[in-house]
Amino acid sequence: MSGHRIRLLMWKEFLQLRRDPLLLRLLFLMPILQLLLFGYVVAADVKNLSTAVVDLDRTSTSRALEASFGASDYFVITQHPGETDLKHLMDTGAISIAIVIPEGTQAALDQGQTAPIGVVVDGSDSQVASVGSGYASQIIARFNADRMASQGISVQAPGVDARVRVMFNPTLASVNTMIPGLVAAIVMISIMAVMGQAVVKERERGTLEQMFVTPIKPVEYLIGKVTPYAIAATVQLLVVALVGIYWFGVPFAGQLSVVAAGLGLFMLTSIGMGLLISLVSHTRQQAQQLMMLLLLPSFVLSGFIFPIDSMPAAIQPLSWFIPLTWAIQILRGAFIKGSGFEALSTQFWVLGLFAVVIFGAAIAATRRRLTE
Amino acid sequence: MSGVDPVRPGPLLGTAPNPDAALSVRGLTKRFGSFTAVDGIDFDVPRGQIFGFLGPNGSGKTTTIRMLTGTSGANAGAALVLGEDVLSHPERVKKRFGYMSQKFALFEDLTVEENLRFYAGVYDLSAEEFAKQRAYVLAMADLRGRENELTANLSVGWRQRLALGTATIHQPELLFLDEPTGGVDPVARRHFWDLLYDLASRGVTLFVTTHYMDEASHCNQLAFIYRGGLIAEGRRTTFAAT
Repeated sequence: MSGHRIRLLMWKEFLQLRRDPLLLRLLFLMPILQLLLFGYVVAADVKNLSTAVVDLDRTSTSRALEASFGASDYFVITQHPGETDLKHLMDTGAISIAIVIPEGTQAALDQGQTAPIGVVVDGSDSQVASVGSGYASQIIARFNADRMASQGISVQAPGVDARVRVMFNPTLASVNTMIPGLVAAIVMISIMAVMGQAVVKERERGTLEQMFVTPIKPVEYLIGKVTPYAIAATVQLLVVALVGIYWFGVPFAGQLSVVAAGLGLFMLTSIGMGLLISLVSHTRQQAQQLMMLLLLPSFVLSGFIFPIDSMPAAIQPLSWFIPLTWAIQILRGAFIKGSGFEALSTQFWVLGLFAVVIFGAAIAATRRRLTE
Repeated sequence: MSGVDPVRPGPLLGTAPNPDAALSVRGLTKRFGSFTAVDGIDFDVPRGQIFGFLGPNGSGKTTTIRMLTGTSGANAGAALVLGEDVLSHPERVKKRFGYMSQKFALFEDLTVEENLRFYAGVYDLSAEEFAKQRAYVLAMADLRGRENELTANLSVGWRQRLALGTATIHQPELLFLDEPTGGVDPVARRHFWDLLYDLASRGVTLFVTTHYMDEASHCNQLAFIYRGGLIAEGRRTTFAAT
């Protein structure tokens, strides 16, 4: 193996990368676009729900209640309709939640009675419905507590007081779980896309054939080919991680070494898959289609978008066979929980096995194919 | 129908390969599954010859070149390239021969200069050697002043000459040319053969495959391959007489 020839191949690869403006733009636009999509759209928490307040009581209590809804981030009071207009507003989608304060609410409260407040939720979006009604009851509960405290009444009412404490991700921000997953997904997409295409392209053009009559060895060719794209992928994932941490405020609780080891193993796996794609594909279109075929189940089954626990029991074992599953678990564990190698040892063993098997098979197959 | 028997048993059949020849092949065989692509061929190419390897498409020409350039193994037989056993130790001789295929196999997204620099580096040329060979190739390919153009923008004749230049940048003793003039107009083809004669006059052995019979007239030794077997072989004058 000659370091000189490997450097030469890398130099050539970087030049070619620089001359391919479309590929270069894709390499850097893709993670940014994905960040924006996943960071703002997919991971968006239920917030700013268009809210209508139907105030039939018109007292200081009802206005105070309305104000506490308006003060939260979750509700934006956009309408003050009459009771009969509610259905129409809900049907047209103008509002997704309505608070109805019946006449006599203040009077009832003053007499020490329970006053019912109506919360009407648009159930056509189940997430909005469950999260919105949950927030609404929290706000009403807090309003109650404040009111009683201000009147010197003890809040220690009898009964069950359930307090759910969410560990590790107290704000329940989806972006915190999305960004670590996205880092892994980007490694996979960009390495597989480029590796798959690059070798096929060289075979199509005949430059591969030309290189192998020279003293270039298959191993040197592979290292020279893989390294530039591994570097590009590292830059990409650094951008994603930094934007995630500093722009989206994703906490990084973990050790850098755990993240680096997990990503390193996952990169080897992705390089292996990219090479295998390029070996079985005769044209770049085939490589492209094959990649899509592999990416879709990876995204759906790995827990990247949908939690594995909420998949049908019969489907769940499939996720074990997807390397992305384990990479995401390592990254989420390291980012959010600060888990170390010990806590993630299963994940590391499995991902390590994938890396050895897939990368090893790809290298062996490529060597055989290149020399035949 | 599998293969055609040689017209005559070659005089080389069963003899030991000749280490003094540029190429010496005995019983070379390549099978892909049940298909025999190259079926026990024997030939010698003395140094300094222009050896024409003729045959229709699919007759085994390219497969033979792949084995002789060490990019593909053989199922049986022996092959000495410049006296080295290319089948078991291709790396020992790879620096001493060049190869140019019908397909323009330079990097189209690199410039003329970068292509030259890449292949010069692959063959470990020193800085002085590179400067000398670069000047020679640019003059030969008529590309002086166009060093920084992408090869994708060159027209066929220039590309072909540049490909010849990069294939010979390390001054090989032997040059394999696999249908080098495919898709080239007659004037450029003529010009290209002038360059090949120039190489031959400097002692480079040329191994040229073609299916154009008229190109055979440029060669001073010929072999015909058909369905994987050699059916005739000898000096050009022998064929002219028959």
